[in-house]
Parts: sequence; C-alpha cells; structure tokens
Amino acid sequence: MKVIFTIIVCKLLRLFGKLVGKGSSLPGQLALKICPDILSRIELPEYIIAVTGSNGKTSTVEMIAHILTQNGKSVSWNREGSNQIEGVTTLVLSSCTLGKKVKSDILLIESDERFARYTFKYIKPTHYVITNLYRDQLTRNGHPEWVFDALKDSIYPETQLILNADDPLVSLFGWGKENVVWFGADKLSTDTETLESVYNDGAYCPHCKSRMTYSTHHYNHIGHYSCPSCGYHRHDTQYTVTAVDLDNGIAELDGKYRISLALKSLYNIYNILAAYTVASIVGIDGQKIAADMSDYVMKNGRVITFELGKRKGTLLTSKHENSISYDQSLRVATQCKEGCDVMIIVDAVSRKYFTSDVSWLWDIDFEMLKSENIHEIILSGTYCNDLAVRFGYTDIPAEKVKIIGDIGEAADHLDSDRSEYIYVITCFSDKQKILARVKVNGE
Amino acid sequence: MVNDMKILHLYYDIMNLYGEYANVSAMHRILANSGIECTVDRLTIGDSAVLSEYDFIYIGSGTERNQKVVLDDFMSYRAQLREYVSSGKAALLTGNSFEMLGATIEDAKGNRFEGLRLFDFKTKEQSKTRNTADAIFEADFLSRPLVGFINKCSETEGVKAPLFTVKMGLGNKDGDQAEGVRKENLFGTHLTGPVLIKNPYFLEYLAGIVAGGTKLSTDHLEYERKGYEITLTELSKLIGHL
Repeated sequence: MKVIFTIIVCKLLRLFGKLVGKGSSLPGQLALKICPDILSRIELPEYIIAVTGSNGKTSTVEMIAHILTQNGKSVSWNREGSNQIEGVTTLVLSSCTLGKKVKSDILLIESDERFARYTFKYIKPTHYVITNLYRDQLTRNGHPEWVFDALKDSIYPETQLILNADDPLVSLFGWGKENVVWFGADKLSTDTETLESVYNDGAYCPHCKSRMTYSTHHYNHIGHYSCPSCGYHRHDTQYTVTAVDLDNGIAELDGKYRISLALKSLYNIYNILAAYTVASIVGIDGQKIAADMSDYVMKNGRVITFELGKRKGTLLTSKHENSISYDQSLRVATQCKEGCDVMIIVDAVSRKYFTSDVSWLWDIDFEMLKSENIHEIILSGTYCNDLAVRFGYTDIPAEKVKIIGDIGEAADHLDSDRSEYIYVITCFSDKQKILARVKVNGE
Repeated sequence: MVNDMKILHLYYDIMNLYGEYANVSAMHRILANSGIECTVDRLTIGDSAVLSEYDFIYIGSGTERNQKVVLDDFMSYRAQLREYVSSGKAALLTGNSFEMLGATIEDAKGNRFEGLRLFDFKTKEQSKTRNTADAIFEADFLSRPLVGFINKCSETEGVKAPLFTVKMGLGNKDGDQAEGVRKENLFGTHLTGPVLIKNPYFLEYLAGIVAGGTKLSTDHLEYERKGYEITLTELSKLIGHL
C-alpha cells in the first residue's frame, strides 16, 4: 500500500510541478522520504540504459531517446536532466503504473557521475555508457581520478559496460574484463600527431603510472594511447567512427553509414557514436540510426542561432570549469572559414553553487584564437579581468581583444555594421544574459 | 642591473591539477619585465635536477595517486632541498605537493608513506569527502589578504610555523585557523591553481625575494589587480553568510 501511495504522491507532485514550472527532483525527494527503498519495489523494463561521464551525457541521452522512439520503442528518460537519485526517482515513479510496473520498453537514465553509486544501488543498469572523464567542475568534483573512484562503486558485474576506448581513464573501468562494448574513433584526418592542449591528462598511465605514448590524438588526451611499461592500451572498438570531414560536416560510422552533422564538432560526433552504439545494441538497424542522426538538431538548447541587428551568430553553450568543453567550442569558431568575431562571457561561474575560482581558464587553449579568421575577441562578465590576464599570456595580439565587463554594453558593441559572423561562448549560468539582448532564431 | 636567473618547475607534467603552470609563467614575466634574464626548466620524474642551480622552485598540486608516484622520486632530493631552503632561496609548493615535505602521508587505505622530513607534520587522507572551498587567507607579511581555492581530501597535523591565517575556507586540519607552512623562503599552501596570478600582491612579495636587490616592474599587473579586487569582493560577501 505504501508503495502505491508513494507512486500517487509522486505523480501528483510531478503533475503540479509541471503546471507551475518547477524542477523534477522535488517529487522524487519526497517519495524517497516516504519510502526509502521505493526504487527496488518497482518492476523495471528489460532494458535499463544508464549514461554517465563528464561531458555529453545530456546530449547522448537525448539522441538515444530520439532514435529509439523514432523506431517504435517507448522510452522513459529524464529529459529535464535531473540526474541524481531524486530526479531518477521522479522519472521512474512518473513512468510506472499503479501496478508498480514501468510501462516503457526502455528506461533511459542520465546519471550524475559522483552520485551514480547511490542511484544504482537500487536500480542496476543492464547497460552502462561512460562517455569520458575530464577536468570538470573541480570545485565540486575534486579531480577525474576522484570521480573515477566514486563511479567505480556504481558498476556491478552483471552490467554491460559500454566504454569510450579513446579515453584512457574511462577505459580503465573495462581493463581485464571480457564483457565490455567499446566505441571510439579510428585515426582521423583531423587528428594530430602531437597533443594540442594546455595540459596532458594522458601523460601517465592510469593503470601503472608510467609514461604513456600516443600514436594519434583525436583531441586533447583523447586518442590512441599505450603504456610501454605495463601494456595498458587503447582497446579495439566494435562501434567506430571511421572517417570525418568537418568542413563538409560528414561523419562515417563503421565504414558504411554517413551522417550529416548539424554541429560540426568531434564532440558532437562522439555523442552520436555513443547513441549509435546503444541503439545498435537494442537492435535498431544502422541505416535507420544514421538517418535519424543526420542533421539532427539538439533540442536541449545548447546550440542556439540568433540575430543581433544586422549580424548573425551562434551561441555555443560550453561548461564553465570545463576546459575541454571550451576547447571544442573554440575549435568550432576557428573552423569558420569566412571569418568571425568571438565573445566569451564569464559572469557567474556556476548557476547551482557559488565559487569565484577561475583556475580552469588557464587550462583552456585560448591560443587557438590567434588564427587569422578570428577577427575581434570580446571578453565580458564579472570575471572579464581574469579573462584579460589569461589572454595576456597568449600570443594573440592585444589589439584584437576588447574587454567590456558589462554584457549589455558588449552586446551593443557587437550590434555594429561589421559583417562577421559572431560566436558567443559561455555557460548555462550566463547564456540568458546575452540571449536577452538578441533575437533568437525560431522564437 | 641584469642577472641571469633560473626557475625550476618540477613535476610539471604530473603535479598539475588545475592550471598550476601559470604560477611559473607569472614569476617568469615579472622577473623578465624587471630586466632580469630568466630561463625556466620544466623537469619531471627521473630528471635529476641540481637544485642549487635555481633561484625559484615551484611544484603544483596533483591527484593523490600522482603525489605518491612523485614522492618516490622527490625523496632523492631530500639533502639538496634542505640545503636549498637553508640558503634562503625561494620555493613555492601548492596543493598537496607541500605534504611531501612532512614526516609521513597516510592514504585512505591506511598505507603510510615516508616524507622528506623537512618538517615534523603528518598528513592523513580519506576517501569519503572531497574538501573544496573558496578561500580568503591573511599573512603577516602581506598588506592584502590572499584569495584562492582549496581542493583536498587530507588533514595535516603538527605544523609549527604556518603560513596563513584562515578568514574563509579550510585550514591545515579541520577547524584549524592556521594554513600552510613556511621555513625561510619556502612557502607551502593547500591553495590550488594559479595562486600567483590570482594574488598579484603575493607574487610581488615572492618575486621580491627571488629578485634580491633588483627593483621590480609591476605595471603589467593592472588586470591581475582588478581581477583580484573583484574576487575578494565576491568572496567577502560570503563571509557574512558563513
């Protein structure tokens, strides 16, 4: 009776929450208070697919849900991105019947990486995707190895691991295990022989701590690594990006499926690859997946095109406190052949908690903006001085860089007769501050 | 007056949790702008540096596992480092790197590692809670407080000559107002990241020691100072809430 009561309370709260536009973690939080082991009392579907990692989880989950529903599967997933145990509880209880059964074919869970061990104590995923482990929000997360240790406790022997073979730390979860599905990229035309990054988190073997070598880098420390000392190495992949053409926005999967890219970044390709891997395992035909992913524009609002006066631009939502996320966005700007201006805003470091820490700015490879197609660079927000100091330690000519602390004034400055395309690079916490000053396309 | 000076960034590729390299960039720039010829050596495990050749040594913060790997190598510098410190030359160790200078480090599993024993303090790690915090520290040798960030899972006990007084953030051990350690011109603090970029006044103080009698040029620190004031203001707002 208690279980059914809890389900009803959660469903009602969720309904009410939706009406008043409240977040999706509160109903689950209350449900867990009423019945702490509620998650283990619900009958779950055959497929329980979990996705975690530093970057790309929300996008990957959205893509998986899109492909599966396009192909006739019913999917319950945490689309609001409440990814700790409370949000997952809301998801499960709102998707289940009063007969205590989740109706959908597939339960798809985006999980926070540090708290996965609490969520999966009750719900054991049948399939578990780990996308990557980067320096991400270190003010909360400590560092990638600390997150690795926390995540390790959320993995059970019966769970099918689906791992990014190109990430040396993620791959350690599968080292020595038989039953692992590996995804990754072959040597690509966009690869570099040497590392292009401010730091090298692949310098030392995560297994034995001897120095590692790379035969190719896809980006940062993501690539084909091996440890001459203990033999740890990048695993062969079952699901593979076999070629990319970023200029024309094409990715090729497993040598046979061509996907036209809505966002021309390797980052996006990895998310597509992870989604392709999961959908293939569920039994969807590769050709169909490729069709569903072609020109797929994310609905999670992370890439937004806009107009500012006579000028056009794109906002690339990047994560503050996450240098690889920034590097990827900066790379998109450097690939703009026609030439562009770039605006970087750091106003509130986080929307969820307060910190004044800007150490992460020093891990971002801003140097790449010295590329000739980047014309003007605008630095804005409360931490514009810290950005200015950071740029002062690059070879970018000072006359290219303008420091305008007030975001409104910076927008006014951009609203000029210049014809260059504008890329705005900032975080969830700050994006509304600029979007309020522009005309968002499609609104 | 032009002196040739040398900076050593030791364990640059493994003790680099969060943009720590910028501390060396900041020191290099202030010396170079002051007319001091200055080179930087970036060395790591197995490189056998001769410490007496240097005028400033920096080691950054690392993961707990990396710190243990480094400690094994760092042990071989014990006698050299003692001599370097007693000669009055400057060194800065940030984050958990300064823990290696104590008597022992005990990891979360209870394994005990011998330190360099330049000090008697002991460090104990745990694996349950990551202790992170924005910080404001004061020092008797600086007119302005320090700002920064702490990111650790350890407690350090038995520091006799701490470096800073905690106004906000975390001390050497839980509830401790004392933070870091100092001996002659060796400075150790749990602050992580580009401490010398965020704290232009501390940079000036430290560079003053390194430069000896040479007058420093600090005009280039305009944005550093502005950024510092904003961070201090933002953090000071929090003190009321604590």
